[in-house]
Amino acid sequence: MQIYLPIAELPVNMFMLFGMGGAVGFLSGLFGIGGGFLLTPLLIFSGIPPAVSVATVTTQVVASSASGVVAYWRRKMIDFKLAGMLLVGGVIGSAIGVWLFDLLRTLGQLDLVISLSYVTFLSAIGGLMLFESLRSMARRKSGARIAARQPGRHNWVHGLPFKMRFRQSRLYVSVIPIIVLGAVIGFLGSILGIGGGFMMVPALIYLLRVPTNIVIGTSLLQILFTMAAATFLHAMSTQSVDIVLALALMIGGVIGAQFGARMGQKLRGDQLRLLLALLVLSVGVRFAVNLVLQPDELFSVSAAVAEVRR
Amino acid sequence: MRRTTLRTLAACGLAALALTTAALAPARAENLISALSNDRVNIESNFTGTKIVVFGEIARDALTVARPDPYDLAVVVSGPEQVVTTRRKGRFLGIWVNRDAETFESVPSFLAIHTTRAPHEMASRTVLQRHRIGLRNLNLPIAIASDVPIGDRDNFRAAFLRLRVESGLYREETQSIEFLSNSLFRTSVTLPANVPVGDYTVSTYLLRGGVLLAQAEEQLTIAKSGFEQFTYRLAYEYSALYGLLAVGLAIFTGWLAGVIFRRD
Repeated sequence: MQIYLPIAELPVNMFMLFGMGGAVGFLSGLFGIGGGFLLTPLLIFSGIPPAVSVATVTTQVVASSASGVVAYWRRKMIDFKLAGMLLVGGVIGSAIGVWLFDLLRTLGQLDLVISLSYVTFLSAIGGLMLFESLRSMARRKSGARIAARQPGRHNWVHGLPFKMRFRQSRLYVSVIPIIVLGAVIGFLGSILGIGGGFMMVPALIYLLRVPTNIVIGTSLLQILFTMAAATFLHAMSTQSVDIVLALALMIGGVIGAQFGARMGQKLRGDQLRLLLALLVLSVGVRFAVNLVLQPDELFSVSAAVAEVRR
Repeated sequence: MRRTTLRTLAACGLAALALTTAALAPARAENLISALSNDRVNIESNFTGTKIVVFGEIARDALTVARPDPYDLAVVVSGPEQVVTTRRKGRFLGIWVNRDAETFESVPSFLAIHTTRAPHEMASRTVLQRHRIGLRNLNLPIAIASDVPIGDRDNFRAAFLRLRVESGLYREETQSIEFLSNSLFRTSVTLPANVPVGDYTVSTYLLRGGVLLAQAEEQLTIAKSGFEQFTYRLAYEYSALYGLLAVGLAIFTGWLAGVIFRRD
């Protein structure tokens, strides 16, 4: 069944959208991530203009994280104060991201920046995760004890000024790294159409030493607000949020996520992280190959955004 | 021998006279009447492209100069003008990035050219260029501040046309105009799913022997309607409201899913 997308201005098969939303939703439920980094490239490869893909995926991420937030809120596993500070950074980062997005689109380098950022971030994070999960699997096999959280041990982050107490996370740290982290993720989110959960979760655990059970709910809440801001800013400045596309993706996504979450409970943590690492890496490699190999078509055309369109 | 020469001369003279009369008396030339099957195309949620039929009549009366040759017709459907940038990737530090760009000012966003035969057989380049008959005869004005060297410009021009043809936005179909009788004709123009919205002109040209005899013009509007039109206007004219609506819808869907699928 074909449906005409009012903003992307082309018809697409609705079942294809449900399918893509569902598949990505499944993975997002399985790994506890937003899945934007998979959905955006999928949409671009299926012919939807990159600008519309990126902006619309931010809307879809709002829906998927809202569904997660509801669940964690009920279990009281969200540190609102920490999420609030992350959010301050997130809004700043999103605003810069949307501004740069608009600028790059007029310069014709948007596709390049999207590809380069995907290659860089996905390869780096995928690589780190792969390394970490393999090491923890090896350690489990050899029977060694996994080091528990050591509250007394501090890293460089704890030496920074402007300290603040986060009661729920049992933390007393500087707000600088928190705001910077929020800003970086908000920035990447609006440029790449990703929630950044796959970066936020490890950063909160390893850098700030937030207890793992608080991390996911807090990160989801932060992503919810950052992506809501990004959606709004995209709607204001680039007008490329396609509400029909977003809705089709959301419906597939939230249903897929439920099945993914059930499946995820049957797998061990390090297995999940290994699979996720391979997934992240392969998307990164896919973009890298595209950049390095000579494209079949060297030329591209893009119409200037008309000022008055009806 | 002499008689035959004289006769040939006389025939030539007559022919010349006839031609001169034809050129001097355009008022007695053919009239062209054209019409569209639809002068408005509405884009709704189930839009996957459509067709419009352009038909018309070559009106002649007893005083019209008799012409033995068949007529040539060209139907040109052109969409609203756009500024389009064509970019070319080049290798930079080992990766492929957009390097050179050529901007074409005011080119049609959509162009369908239907003719009775190959355009270059119909008239001289000047005539064809003036009326956009044939993709090769399209005048693509470039920005004054173009950095592309003159020798390279044809590559951009050719690439632009090729990409537009590939995306279905430009099309040239020769021998696609059907004559229903000596004077009635019609052609069916495909509007693809990605057809741009806006005000279109449908121009019909009647040519013979390289001369434009008559032309007619019709207006065609392609517009989103109903929900699509509403959504589009909301997104562009009330962006803030649209943004809030998108966020609200997303939160609601997520919340609803969380409630429906709650497991505890």
